[in-house]
Amino acid sequence: MTELLNATAITKRYGGITALSRADFSARAGEVHALLGENGAGKSTFIQILAGAVRPDGGTVTLAGSPYRPRDPQEAQRSGIAPVFQELSLVPDLTVEENIWFRHEPLSAVRTVRARAMREATLELFARHRFPSIRPDQELRRLTLAERQVIEIAKALSRDPKVLILDEATSALGPQETEWLLGLARGLADAGSLVIYISHRLGEVREIADRITVFRNGATVAAYDTQAVDDETIITDMLGRRMDRLYPERKKTSTDTVALGLRGFGVDHRLSDIDLDLREGEVLGVAGMQGHGQRELFQALFGIGGSRGTVDVWGKPKTIRSPRQALTGRDGLALVPEDRRNHGLLLAKSVRENLTLSVIQRFTRFGITDPRREGALVDEMIATLKIKTGTPEQLAGTLSGGNQQKVIFGKMLLTEARILLLYDPTRGIDVGTKGEIFQLMRDLAAKGYAILFYSSDLAELVHVADRVAVLRNGRLAAILEGEQNSERQILRAAMLETRAA
Amino acid sequence: MSVADPMSPLKMTVATSSPSELAHRPSRAAIWKSALLDRASLIIPCVMLIGLLLVYASLRDGVFTLDELNLDTAAAMTLILAATGQTIVLLRGGIDLSIGGMISLGTVLAATRFGTDPAQAAAWAFGIVAIGGLVGALNGILITALRLQPFLVTLATWSILSGTAMIILPTDGGSLPSGWTMFGVSTKLGLSSSVWLLAVLLVFWIWFKRTRLGIAIRATGSNERSAFLSGVSPIGINIATYGLSGIFAALAALYLTTQTGAGSPTIGKDYILPSVAAAVIGGISLFGGRGGLVGTIIGAFILTIIGNLVFVLEVSSYWQPIVSGIILLVAVLASSIAEKSARRSLS
Repeated sequence: MTELLNATAITKRYGGITALSRADFSARAGEVHALLGENGAGKSTFIQILAGAVRPDGGTVTLAGSPYRPRDPQEAQRSGIAPVFQELSLVPDLTVEENIWFRHEPLSAVRTVRARAMREATLELFARHRFPSIRPDQELRRLTLAERQVIEIAKALSRDPKVLILDEATSALGPQETEWLLGLARGLADAGSLVIYISHRLGEVREIADRITVFRNGATVAAYDTQAVDDETIITDMLGRRMDRLYPERKKTSTDTVALGLRGFGVDHRLSDIDLDLREGEVLGVAGMQGHGQRELFQALFGIGGSRGTVDVWGKPKTIRSPRQALTGRDGLALVPEDRRNHGLLLAKSVRENLTLSVIQRFTRFGITDPRREGALVDEMIATLKIKTGTPEQLAGTLSGGNQQKVIFGKMLLTEARILLLYDPTRGIDVGTKGEIFQLMRDLAAKGYAILFYSSDLAELVHVADRVAVLRNGRLAAILEGEQNSERQILRAAMLETRAA
Repeated sequence: MSVADPMSPLKMTVATSSPSELAHRPSRAAIWKSALLDRASLIIPCVMLIGLLLVYASLRDGVFTLDELNLDTAAAMTLILAATGQTIVLLRGGIDLSIGGMISLGTVLAATRFGTDPAQAAAWAFGIVAIGGLVGALNGILITALRLQPFLVTLATWSILSGTAMIILPTDGGSLPSGWTMFGVSTKLGLSSSVWLLAVLLVFWIWFKRTRLGIAIRATGSNERSAFLSGVSPIGINIATYGLSGIFAALAALYLTTQTGAGSPTIGKDYILPSVAAAVIGGISLFGGRGGLVGTIIGAFILTIIGNLVFVLEVSSYWQPIVSGIILLVAVLASSIAEKSARRSLS
């Protein structure tokens, strides 16, 4: 069979850092082709090259037999390549439909946008691909991250691409939208398009990919038919070593001490009547479909937005109306937020500054910072978390996704809070770092930390959490533990009216 | 995901009537509130303008007449034209200080080169607009190619243009054809040519904001990286944005000469900050992406009416900038409060 897309020996350097060296990739029309690799393996650079956003230093790409060298994203789009970037390409102040048709709007005789034609085309596109219902006339900034991800996909599809690139497109989606997207990708491939699918979730890859290419350290290490390879081999290829196990051993470390007790906790109409006890030494999972109150729960506990009901922290009632009131040292709470690029990290600041930003008082005497004490704290965190950074002064924005997330963990641990709120901490992170983060969570629990853990990947909740609280329509639908803690039971509780937990 | 098959019919039902939507359906009152908050940045200047007009009308007769509309429009028009260019640049997330230099240069060129031959005057009028466009395009190229701050680049070109104007005509003066200065006087259907010009400007805007370029300018101001990834050329958008700003500055200069009948190498600086103020009072975000020309025009009228009020009240004219400053603060504060509560009601 002929290949639609063929890339040979692609190289790309950024200053002294080699992002890609000898990357090969070849895929044919009508298949879903998964591209796998750890963060920093060069996948993002590779698809940016395909998308025309970055130009390679060397190597050749052919598309349908002819040389393909896009000078800019527009040329790539004209050639039929539509990328869905992890870094979304949407404009917050335009409406949903303006975003979808941006740069190829239907025009009238006087070169203005035909609003009605655009609306019809949007609704037609939504209907054709069974999109979740989103109002086309809303401004994009009104949308949740998951909805934006869906619109990014609509935008790519609006060009009827020959090649659709999905980069971690499911990482922001709930289980329901994920299922939809997998079906969509499969359908497009069956209709003759090429879908390049990048994901850290092997389950998804298995479900829809025909073939798999694995990148490591900027080079192609293997390519397989999905049927002919097992997960163990893929992971070994990605890591370059055998990974013993993704999920750490789970020993019961929880005590009877309640670290965080909620009674009648709620946030306006979106979260109500939550009674929940998080114990010392426990990892308590939180599950639910997108938009059923998980975000509100985490934000309200960290003092963002109002809340009602009572919160007991280590046995004492506590009022949390701002993050400042949450971050009160050893008896406080710390949060790993959802959107690490915008809310968790200052990308243009160094690793050191990011780590110590919230804890400046820990190395300040009489209003003057002590660089030696600061350095000691920073070095300790970098060593504990194995953060891969050249020096503590390297800019956070230049780290790989997994290492950025470690910096946020470090920042949170330095606050000394022993109640940790982790909101989807492994989103868009490579397998190796995921394993490290799970191990870290269990280690912290064993030391007496209490961890509230939301994940959009149900398997993580099942394998890492001691118990899982399932939210539905802003209420507690079930608390699952032991045998009950399974993906199937979580989905049942999240989607069905249950009689009993 | 490895979910067992019996679940799939369930998913279909869930997908059609999403429970999250049911849980989130806002009340009618909430919809109204968010619609109002969304438009707050335009409603606030409208309320301010009406308030100022009412105060003005209580002090003087004949405020709500066509004559007054003709007069005020003529008084506001130079600022409106200059602020139109500034609005386009602000929407893109930039700023253009060079319009001050361009307006000065435009007036001195008109006052020294028009002569008495109508054909020569017309040719030079087009020439001035073309110079405006070229200078603006140069701003755009410098900003993109050298990756410099728009503030600094246009500060430099402002200075260069002002100096050039000084060389051409060191002091206020020169002369314009008598027909040229009659422009503001002529009327049709009771409306002065300035009001008709304003109408043309509004038609231009209604057209422009719906063109691909209009959308791309707003998009670039809203999120530059996203716009680039979507295929907007960074240098193209800057040439277009600053080029348009230069063209509108040249038009402002030409209009100004119809009013003053002379050239002035220093007059342009009086329009730089007011053009930004008019836009900001009218709800344009300095961070780009949000607002429109209607707001700017209202902002320009607010500033003009404040001038009238100071005149009618017979207080020192130094009160005008003081009151303008207070109005600017109130407008910015009000729309920022509205913006924040809009965010809060959502997230």
